[in-house]
Formats: sequence, C-alpha cells, structure tokens
Amino acid sequence: MVSMKLDLNHLSRLANLKLTEEEEKELPGQLDKIIDWVGQLSCLETDQEEKFTPVNFSLRLEADQPEESLPPAEVLALAPDKEGDFIKVPRVLAGE
Amino acid sequence: MSQKLVEPGLVEAVNLVRNGQVSLVEIVEDYIEHIERQDKRIKAYLTYNFGPALARARQIDSRSEKGKLAGAVIAVKDNIVTKGLRTTCGSKILENFIPPYNATVIERLEAEDAIIIGKTNLDEFAMGSSTENSAFFTTRNPWNVDRVPGGSSGGSAAAVAAREASGALGSETGGSVRQPAAFCGLVGLKPTYGRISRYGLVAFASSLDQIGPLARNVPDCAWLTSVISGFDRRDSTSAGLPVPDYFSNLELPLTKKRVGVLAEALLTGVNPEVAANYKKVILNLEKLGFKLSTASFPSWEYALPCYYIIAPSEASSNLARFDGVRYGFRANSGELFEMYQNTRTLGFGSEVKRRILIGTFALSSGYYEAYYARAARARQTITSEFQAAFKQVDFILTPTTPEAAFRLGEKQDPLSMYLQDYFTVTANLAGLPCLSLPSGLTADGLPLGVQLIGPDFSELELFKLAFLLEKNFNFKNNIDGITTVRKEEE
Repeated sequence: MVSMKLDLNHLSRLANLKLTEEEEKELPGQLDKIIDWVGQLSCLETDQEEKFTPVNFSLRLEADQPEESLPPAEVLALAPDKEGDFIKVPRVLAGE
Repeated sequence: MSQKLVEPGLVEAVNLVRNGQVSLVEIVEDYIEHIERQDKRIKAYLTYNFGPALARARQIDSRSEKGKLAGAVIAVKDNIVTKGLRTTCGSKILENFIPPYNATVIERLEAEDAIIIGKTNLDEFAMGSSTENSAFFTTRNPWNVDRVPGGSSGGSAAAVAAREASGALGSETGGSVRQPAAFCGLVGLKPTYGRISRYGLVAFASSLDQIGPLARNVPDCAWLTSVISGFDRRDSTSAGLPVPDYFSNLELPLTKKRVGVLAEALLTGVNPEVAANYKKVILNLEKLGFKLSTASFPSWEYALPCYYIIAPSEASSNLARFDGVRYGFRANSGELFEMYQNTRTLGFGSEVKRRILIGTFALSSGYYEAYYARAARARQTITSEFQAAFKQVDFILTPTTPEAAFRLGEKQDPLSMYLQDYFTVTANLAGLPCLSLPSGLTADGLPLGVQLIGPDFSELELFKLAFLLEKNFNFKNNIDGITTVRKEEE
C-alpha cells in the first residue's frame, strides 16, 4: 500500500459532509497519517478468507409474520418537520 | 454527612432489600443526594432520571414479590435507548432525541426491578478513549479529577467508581468497557459476540459492538451479566445458547488451569509500571498453582490497524442514517441534499467526521481491496491465532491498557489516542469474551487492570478465575473521601 493524498473533496461529498475551514486545514494531515499507519497491514502475509463477523454460532431464520410496530403518532412526533401524517423535507431540486 | 446506602455494592444492596433491612426509596434517596453533591466534580451523567427512579422505587417497595435486581441502582451509557428518557450518544445530532422504545437490556433490567438512575457521558457515538470527544463535556476520573476516566464508556465507569451508581451498562467496540474499567478500578466485561442483545444499542460498528456491564467487584458484575444476557429475537446476531447462572457458580472449583501470557516483544512501549504489575500478576497465578506459558500471536501488532479500518468502515455506513429527516437535529436549508450535508456537518464532531471519512475511503472504489478486504482477511488471521492458542491454554492474560489514566488534554493527536486500544481490540475482532479487573495501583495511586480472554461463551470460567484473583489481589476500590462531604464544600 502506498501513501496517497486523499481526495478530501470527493470523500466528503460521498459522506455527505461539508468541512469547516479549520477542518480543511487539520484533516488532510491527520487523515494521511492515519491512512499511512493502517497501511502497515500490507506487511501481513495472509492466505485467510475475508471474515466479516465474529459469529461462531448458527444464525436462524425468522418467520415472516406481521406484528405490531411503534405507534405512528409517536414516531412522527420525532420528525423535525411534518405535515399531516407525513415527514416533511426541503424540496429535492432548488428553485421553482 | 455521608449517604451510607451508596456504600454497599450491588449484590449487598439487593440482599439488604430482600431481607427487609432497607427500602428501595431509602437507597434511591441516598444516591440522589450523593449524586447531586458529587457529580458537579465528576460529571458522569448527561441526564438524570431522579423523578421516575423514585416513583419506581415506591412502586417496587409496595410489592412483596421483588425481582433479582431490586436494590440495584444502575447508570446506563447514553448510546443505549431508553423509552421516554433522552438518549444523545454524546452528540449534538441527537441532543434532544427521546426514544420511543427501550433496548432489550433495559427491559431485562427493569423486569428484575433495577432502578435506572441516569444516562452517562461518552465519547460521541462511542468513538474515543477518554470522553473528551463528548459534544457536551468531559467526565473526570474519580481517583484523580485531573485524569480522564477512559472511554468511551467513561461516564458509566466514573459513576460506579464515585458511588453514583451500584453498577452500570457500557458498550464495547474496541475496548470501551474494559479500558474505563481499568482506569477507574472496576470490573468490566466484554461478552462473547451474541451473548447480550444489541437491540437498542445505537450502532457504531455492528460486527464488533457489544453491550457490557461495569461493577465494583466480580460478584456484582456476574449478577448483572446473568440478568442482561441471553437470546433476543430482535437482534439477528443474538446467540440462542443457554445462559449459566454466573453468580451462583462463582465458587465452583476451577478446573481449567492453563494461562497464556504475551511474549516480551509485545510489551515493548508499554508503561514500565503496567509491565511490572503484569509480571506480578503472572507470579501470583503461578503461586496459585496455574500453569503459565507464552502464547504465540504473530499478528497481534496488526490488530490495531485492522480494527481502525473495519470499525470506521462500518461506522461510515451505520452513521449514514443520521440525515436530519426522521429524528434528531436538522439544519435549515432550502434544498434536500444541502440539508443532509448541513445537518451532518453541524451535528457531528471532529472525531466522528474523521472516522466517517476514513471508512468512506476504505470502502471506496479502487481502495476497497487494499484496505477493507485486507483488514477482513487480517481479522480472520487474528481469530485463527486465538483458536490455535486455545488448544494450548484455557485463558489469555494481558494488561488491559498500555498505561494508567492519562491527563485531560494529554492526547491531542488522534493516532496517540488510538494506541490506547492496543490490548483490547483483539477480543472484539475475534468476538471473544474478555473481562478486565483491577490489579493494583501505580505509585501515583491510579488503578491498573489486567484482562482475561477466553474461548467463545466461556464467561463463567472468566468470572471464576477473576473472582479468585480478586480475593488474591485484595484490591480496595474505595476512593478516599468520595462518600463524605469534602472539606472545601462544608
């Protein structure tokens, strides 16, 4: 693994984040250092399969049965903005 | 005057209630009075639950039949959802979030008449080792208020150490129960992956996350663990295996006597007092008749970089749900995508953003193979080294942390904070149970801890050995003056 300069603009767009001025100054150095450091993994010789979970017991299937969910009014009450029985968000495309 | 009912441990308090010597209301009132005075210094709690706690105590007092935890006053880490009680995850993005349901562990605690006294501080979304990443304030270590309590479950640990709770729930992704337990002189357990339900634990890295208890001693921790463990159909990775009674079996004879220790080379860079304490524990075990041998972990040093690829990758995906739409904070904007961005930008703190960006990078096109996939293979290598080790030994013993509690503000560089997890992350990557217990004090009077790792679902064996060691160490976790009014306050 070679160290690479992170394309921070691209990454923050993928992650739906904007960076503050201070973060734009601090983050590139910090992230480069962290990426370099985790890059030492390339020295580990391994012929193992990828392992995604540590589960060492059998997982089960669930019957597909409808059951009671949370009361809609309680869930809607958590929304920052709503209209009737709907959660309201700003328009997807700006302008008329 | 001191509030004397905050002194008994969890099991002791439960027995006092059971024998009719004290009422729950008396216990809860003492805790409230003590917290109101003490927590100004310690800052363990983000939200108090005093009113409902007292009401519940009255209600339980009025019943003749009482649950297994009647008398226990529990602090809950603020990333475990509690119905009707604010749950912030230490983040601005959930500052005013009031969950509409309870986590399974909360249901189990309340079904056995435990009292939830409040929600404790943490590093934002459990990302950190000191509580300094909390969006609200930093918790202090009750042993020395210039030191951190550890993290991310630092509020839970500080609360139990300062007698502001008789036990607590924390959560682990890479050591977040064990490290604060070690820093605050407590017993903390990271259970086997699947032992305790994660339903209602706000997800950080789902393949690593587990809820774990913190307590003042091994029997208290065992009692609490028995209540919260077991199958839960609402957690798809919950293990359908029976749960032994950890408490009642504590004094059964320990037949497993082989303990693996780390090679000297893996201890370079560790604080000399930590290394000396570790060696002392090894000698004690030999004197107790245990058979010690060096366990081989050629990949131990790769566990940290492996963890710091996998955990941020999963976090970048899990935290995508915080978009300002359905709950939590929303930043005002005229356009939808701008609203997502502004909400997350203003709602998340720096460490959370760092990890989301690292994870986004490791999973992004062109880098996945070199980072995430490589880490997933390294994880398997580390797991198989444990499997091989457990053919030779029954337990692995290591220090819990590379040093004792550090000073507030001492670790400014994110990487130096990550190195705190050197001993702890391996158990999370391999899904193994691991218990940390106090093993002594530094010359400065700060607690040190060692941890015991066992094979899958060997919690009972860990508790039994820890109980034996606890009696042998005779560690006193009573902090001078913590339950008496300090002179300057009188």
